[in-house]
Amino acid sequence: MTIAEEDISTDTPRPPEVETKAPVGRGRLVLEKIDKTFPGTRMAAVRQLSLTCEPGEFVVVVGPSGCGKSTLLNVAAGMLKPEGGRVLLDGRPVNGPGPDRAVVFQDHGLFPWLTAGQNIEFGLKMAGMGKEQRRHRVQEALRMVHLSQSGGKLVHELSGGMRQRVAIARSLVMNPSVLLMDEPFAALDAQTRTLMHAQLQDLWVQTRKTILFVTHSVGEAVRLADRIIVLHAHPGRIRTEIAIELPHPRNFDSREIGELVHRVRREIEDEVNRVNAQMAEYWKPQTPDDMGGHLVDMGGGI
Amino acid sequence: MIWAVILLTWEGAYRVIGWKAYQFPAPSHVLDSTLDMLNIRSYFGQPLHSGWPWRPDDQPPDTRVRPPIYRSPLVVAQLVSGTRLAVGFSISILIGATLGLLMWRWRGVDEFFGPLFLGMQTLPSVCWIPMAILTFGINESGILFVLVMGSCFAIAIALRDGLRTIPPVYQKAGLMLGAGGWRLYRYVLLPASLPAMTSSLRQGFSFAWRSLMGAELIFMVWNHGLGFLLHVGREFSDISQVIAVMAMMVIVGMIVDRWVFAVLEKRVHARFGLSAGR
Repeated sequence: MTIAEEDISTDTPRPPEVETKAPVGRGRLVLEKIDKTFPGTRMAAVRQLSLTCEPGEFVVVVGPSGCGKSTLLNVAAGMLKPEGGRVLLDGRPVNGPGPDRAVVFQDHGLFPWLTAGQNIEFGLKMAGMGKEQRRHRVQEALRMVHLSQSGGKLVHELSGGMRQRVAIARSLVMNPSVLLMDEPFAALDAQTRTLMHAQLQDLWVQTRKTILFVTHSVGEAVRLADRIIVLHAHPGRIRTEIAIELPHPRNFDSREIGELVHRVRREIEDEVNRVNAQMAEYWKPQTPDDMGGHLVDMGGGI
Repeated sequence: MIWAVILLTWEGAYRVIGWKAYQFPAPSHVLDSTLDMLNIRSYFGQPLHSGWPWRPDDQPPDTRVRPPIYRSPLVVAQLVSGTRLAVGFSISILIGATLGLLMWRWRGVDEFFGPLFLGMQTLPSVCWIPMAILTFGINESGILFVLVMGSCFAIAIALRDGLRTIPPVYQKAGLMLGAGGWRLYRYVLLPASLPAMTSSLRQGFSFAWRSLMGAELIFMVWNHGLGFLLHVGREFSDISQVIAVMAMMVIVGMIVDRWVFAVLEKRVHARFGLSAGR
């Protein structure tokens, strides 16, 4: 599902200096029958998983921990090589990480020896862009994430939310086809997270990048996604897909969102219960009988 | 402050009890000896009576012709030792950094050399001297050999351990941003390893300085370093000079460590936000 370009101009009037690109037809990410098993483990982390992100679509993958959602993202990024299947970006096969699929890491992954601005500049420098043009693009990117004043700060001088914003700017400045986000807000406090959701949604409406976002938070998924993919654990496969047909930008406190969160959470709960039942084969809570009975009488001789 | 009290007590004890100056000197004797090595005659170690600390009446004036201070034994020795240290330590950094990098990059190299290097690190550097004499002869290369052998393993091990603490996410981020091949090393791994490098250099320096002093004490070559002055003190049973030279070695080691390597480390850590209290 793609939202037409006109929607942007009507829904969110943007200041003219921010360029609004709608790269329609660019950023189609296809994962075809991905198989991945980590060495030393019996169970496949991901098995026969197929997923297509249409250009400009915001896809969020949720699932219980250990369901292979990070594996999926790493495969899409090219950090992990799958045993079977292939990844296609706009029809071209992906092998190895590259700037066309920018990643925002959970622990930001900014370089501490560079300032915020230099971190954003890094990808452009590697791409061989001229100095003057780089400076211009960095300023623009900093303005997009509302950090115009903090470009000269070192990474450790920034707060958690600011670091993630710099990480997002660093990814966006390279004008990638796809943005891959691996639980980017998991380490932030609730208030900052809500703020980041609003800002990310703004950015997405402005840039219309294809985003593949991985999280374990259902609330986050419903707020941001066009389409939610619920993963099935052990082995990782797609369980259900839920389309969220609410227009962007969204009011996070609306009743529809609350209801949707409820519905998706139920889906996930089923999955978590199933995983727990499966795990029970390997691990059972111990009963007093298992412990040889001596704990039952503890204190009985007093 | 505490040091002043200790030195004063030491000097006072010497003056009151009357220890034998040829077995264990007072601070004033050491001061005399240090100044003497700088071609300055002083009388701080003389008994206290009229005229101290200037020349007592019962002593003949010092009429020896002395070269100027910049050609005094201590200054020359410092320069000689400093040059040796600079040359040897550079070689040592090159070899140590290469070994450390190889051990970090390839597991096989680490498994083969790691335990050996750890063993070599525990070997006192003086133990390399006999081999250096037989292999290189009594000359400058022999001294440099001892210095390099004494410090390059420590540098290699410290660098390897430091490189292992680089979070893998930097490498991932670098690749994602388009820094592949040598550019990953130049723009990501090299700066990421700076904290590891500075601490390995700091450790390497103290090993290098120790090895050099040991080597100079044994090797009798034409250029006289600090270690040679220590040897001369022993030969002439001049305990004041022995202690003065030892103090000098400690002071040089401390100054370089504090004012070069600690400053470097502090700046790198401040940049990375690693300083204590964070």
